[in-house]
Amino acid sequence: MTRLRAFTTDADQPLRQHAYQSPLRDERLAAILGVALGVLFAICFVTGLYSHLHQHPLSWLPMPARPAGLFRVTQGLHVAAGIASLPVLLAKLWLIWPRFVSMPVVKRVSHLVERLGLLPLVAGSIFMVFSGVANIAQWYPWRFAFPAAHYWIAWVTMGALISHLGAKWVITRQALRRPGRRPALAEADPFIGTSAEVPHPGLSRRGFLGTVTATAGVLTLSTVGQTFRPLRRLALLAPRDPDVGPQGRPVNRSAANAGVVDAASSPNYRFRVVGRVERQLTFTADELGALAGHEATLPLACVEGWSYSARWRGVRVRDLLRMAGAPSGVECRVESLEANGPYRVSSLDADQAHDIDTLLATHLDGQQLDADHGYPLRLIGPGRPGVNQTKWVTKLVVV
Amino acid sequence: MSQAPNPAGAHRRGPLFWLSAAAGWAVIGYGLRGLLHHHVDTRPSNLATFFAGGALIHDLIVAPLLIGVGVVIGRYVPGRVRAVVQAALIVSGGLALFSYPLVRGYAHRLHNPSSLPHNYTANLVLVLAIVWTFAAAILVIRLRRREG
Repeated sequence: MTRLRAFTTDADQPLRQHAYQSPLRDERLAAILGVALGVLFAICFVTGLYSHLHQHPLSWLPMPARPAGLFRVTQGLHVAAGIASLPVLLAKLWLIWPRFVSMPVVKRVSHLVERLGLLPLVAGSIFMVFSGVANIAQWYPWRFAFPAAHYWIAWVTMGALISHLGAKWVITRQALRRPGRRPALAEADPFIGTSAEVPHPGLSRRGFLGTVTATAGVLTLSTVGQTFRPLRRLALLAPRDPDVGPQGRPVNRSAANAGVVDAASSPNYRFRVVGRVERQLTFTADELGALAGHEATLPLACVEGWSYSARWRGVRVRDLLRMAGAPSGVECRVESLEANGPYRVSSLDADQAHDIDTLLATHLDGQQLDADHGYPLRLIGPGRPGVNQTKWVTKLVVV
Repeated sequence: MSQAPNPAGAHRRGPLFWLSAAAGWAVIGYGLRGLLHHHVDTRPSNLATFFAGGALIHDLIVAPLLIGVGVVIGRYVPGRVRAVVQAALIVSGGLALFSYPLVRGYAHRLHNPSSLPHNYTANLVLVLAIVWTFAAAILVIRLRRREG
């Protein structure tokens, strides 16, 4: 028991590095890593919430169609910040790990509240980073639906982070206010702990922080090119290349995976405009191709953090609405040939439906759409997540 | 080392602690309610396995393992080169961990050629080679400086 005690720390005192033999276990370092992690998680949470609201729109909160590249930026940030947080999280957990085994387990009510909050904080943080990294690599070792699980555990993790922030506010501010190089106060004043760094072989605290930053930096540089084009050639570890795929563009769901190969190429294919319209419209694939007269350069930005910008040609949704005699300012639902799947249907609010560049496209970069890109018809609108750019469109429903 | 008495007031928790704890647990409750409400998608029992499993694997296996590696390095790697070796190992570990699902190529079972278009084993080896070359260069510069 005494040996265990010697190995652990008193949770209410500054980290006592001598007890577990690393000069790196320092409260200032823990505070800096904590702040970095807090910033990265905040970026992930806000951008993630933005993506969630696009996919699960609230009637009173229309999602902006403009700027057209906004979602590309927010979701690129979401994935990049999540990837960068991997080494920061591991470093932070390594630094404070001895506290998990601190004795006694519980001292006071406040201590119990703080320790209980660490369960959702640690488990939630690990879950968020692990599930995100696995998902962008399209590795699904679980049985739950990733978006729902990632979303609700984000709330659990953020709640735990809020609680942790209040518990650590004072000690973090004190640790950050203190200058980096401190006199060896440890012997004179044990309350400060052995937080002055004595000369030692191996990584210094500054070196450790630099190494964690470098790890995050190398991970960012080797992945961010999947959405940030100037760094494309460095993207050695990115799950996507914006120039590789059918017609030189990546896709997330192939026609075969969606089970639409036959229906999309069938001569019986029809596209219909129905719902609150004066006259229903029906088009064949050839008629759509002949009608497609509007061109727009728009990004396709996947929720998994890759994106590309391309030239699309098609029919404006608002022109179709006018042809069908729909009332002004209506909203629409776009339906795919897919028999099922969470992204079979997407919605266009009034702003998005009437945007000058919201198209039902037949052509990509001047060529007829490949089956994997949604032939004969796909939705492409400004500022929307890729999963909402419905492919293999067969119905536009005015609601 | 004798146990020092706690400074006066070190254990007192102010309103900030209790307010943030209340707000934080309310948000946690919102998240738990949401994931139970959407149980068809979230599969709470499967989710709980991954939620708790990740923390347990980290706390009981990964963290002790890392501390063990640290002890081994501290004992066997000479002090002059230790810092650079530690740094290169940390960077390599982070890269390897991130790349694991890419190298294993789980996405290939979806038969989507635009998913995982690279040879990630070769690319990871290349990035690691760059990291260790850089580390070796720093080491040479440091040792020269010390000698000179």
